Amino acid sequence: MKLPRHILPFAFIGPAIVFLAAMLLWPLAQAVLLSLQSVRSVGTTGEWVGLANYIDVLTDTDFWDSAWLSLIWVVANAVLQTLLALVAALALNQSFPGVRIARTWIVLAWIVPTVVVVMIWRWLFSTSGGIVNPLLLQSGLTDRAIGFFATPNMAFATLVFINSWRWFPFITLMMLAGLTRIPRDLYEAASIDGAGPWKRFTRITWPLLAPTLGVLLVIGTLLSFNVFDIIWLLTAGGPADATRTLPVLIYETAFKSYRMSEAAAVAVLATVFLMGFALLATRWLARPPEAR
Amino acid sequence: MKRALRWNMALAGVLFMLVALIVLPFWFVLTGSIKEPSEIIARTPTMIPQSFSLQHYVKLLSASDYPLYMMNSMIVATASTVITLLLAIPAGYAFFRMAFAGRETLYRAILLAYAFPSIVILIPLFGIFAKLGLIDTRLALVLVNVAFALPFAIWMLRSFFAGIPIEIEEAARLDGGAPLTVLRRIMIPLVAPGIAAVAVFTFVTSWTEYVFASVMILSDAKRPMPVGFSGIIGQYQIDWGLLLAGASLSILPVVILFAFVGRWFVAGLTEGAVK
Repeated sequence: MKLPRHILPFAFIGPAIVFLAAMLLWPLAQAVLLSLQSVRSVGTTGEWVGLANYIDVLTDTDFWDSAWLSLIWVVANAVLQTLLALVAALALNQSFPGVRIARTWIVLAWIVPTVVVVMIWRWLFSTSGGIVNPLLLQSGLTDRAIGFFATPNMAFATLVFINSWRWFPFITLMMLAGLTRIPRDLYEAASIDGAGPWKRFTRITWPLLAPTLGVLLVIGTLLSFNVFDIIWLLTAGGPADATRTLPVLIYETAFKSYRMSEAAAVAVLATVFLMGFALLATRWLARPPEAR
Repeated sequence: MKRALRWNMALAGVLFMLVALIVLPFWFVLTGSIKEPSEIIARTPTMIPQSFSLQHYVKLLSASDYPLYMMNSMIVATASTVITLLLAIPAGYAFFRMAFAGRETLYRAILLAYAFPSIVILIPLFGIFAKLGLIDTRLALVLVNVAFALPFAIWMLRSFFAGIPIEIEEAARLDGGAPLTVLRRIMIPLVAPGIAAVAVFTFVTSWTEYVFASVMILSDAKRPMPVGFSGIIGQYQIDWGLLLAGASLSILPVVILFAFVGRWFVAGLTEGAVK
């Protein structure tokens, strides 16, 4: 069988495109349709209600509280992840015995199932037993066990830490790529001219790494926004809704309060927002490297 | 000289912090899983276990469905990996080695799919799968895993395909090789590291997926490890020894996989990321 030349590429990408369309685009279209009806639980039918769900959602303070939380969540995670990754990548870009092993195994935290990540940290941070509290008590840094998930702010901060702990190794590896592409001779020349480590960092590493950092901040933002399982398994959105980001609100509305259509409306709004952000970002990412 | 010493000390400090941050939690989990229950809940945590016992593992493997969950995860993750590779390799070849109308637009659409908020399609997908009779099947999980891994998989292959000199391909084509033959005989061996990278990525994301599995799988016998394990967490009165043993075992398959092909994954991630 011989395909004409201009058909051939489509024969190769066709299966992937069709699969993604069926699994992502089609359900997305269904979500839009669902958001215009009044369906309460899966399998039941509803009536067409137009934009009523959207009006309900947009006038509901729960939605705005969650949207605001999501924003803080994304910013806090993107900043913490990128900072941790930057420090780790700078260290792993040096040469020391065992650096190859360290570069491979730094992703250990990422290859562990989230359920296990959650279990591990719940144990480490536990108020009865655990590891962190006994160590803090022993060293005299605190005289009472700290409830890492007890108060709204504390729970939120703990979740940001755990989520960033899981994802920063992934970002570190991508950042290492940016670092290894900086020509070594630049550093050597700077050393000969008497530039110390700090000066070499601010004058060479930082300006040349900045584009990579930008890309990774975008990726980190997208990854963080979508995080659901860690939050759901650790706090289920609590205490006092302090960790109910948009994905948690969507899940809760759909599968706890059985208001499918309203959940779909929130989901569609979140998608529009995130896709808008991603479109702007990929337009920037897709530019040739020289133009960045 | 003094400056170099200070620099080395700073590096050592950062490395120490990294080890503490990444390795220490796993150390406590692993050693905790072989401690006697009384030592696990001791007021002063021990770095080196003072007792040794396999009772938590024995209990986990005999009194729960844990082995079954592991088996399910193995099947789902392996199938997801194979299907993702079958879809991603030809797509990557076309995207990065062929010129055609609409290539940029399609590629950008794929990147967008990578940014997709997965929770959004959970609700409609449940309805669609219910109509197709896919609820409570492992096939449903495979389809979901492939859908989420595929966009990133194609993206990762980019630099591996781009790194192959065009002459090699032209020579093969002049010798009369059909496109599919060129892909199979010439390109696939050359992008093997990229394929390994994609395989690790897909296996790990499938192995760790929880949300869709928790909604789509209803019967205990078909649960993959993350869902089954979270069931064990909720089912018993908190038995930390049992949970630590389960956590340790759940990490094992991905660690073994990573020991063999981890460096290709790292190469794939670092190469593909910024190009």
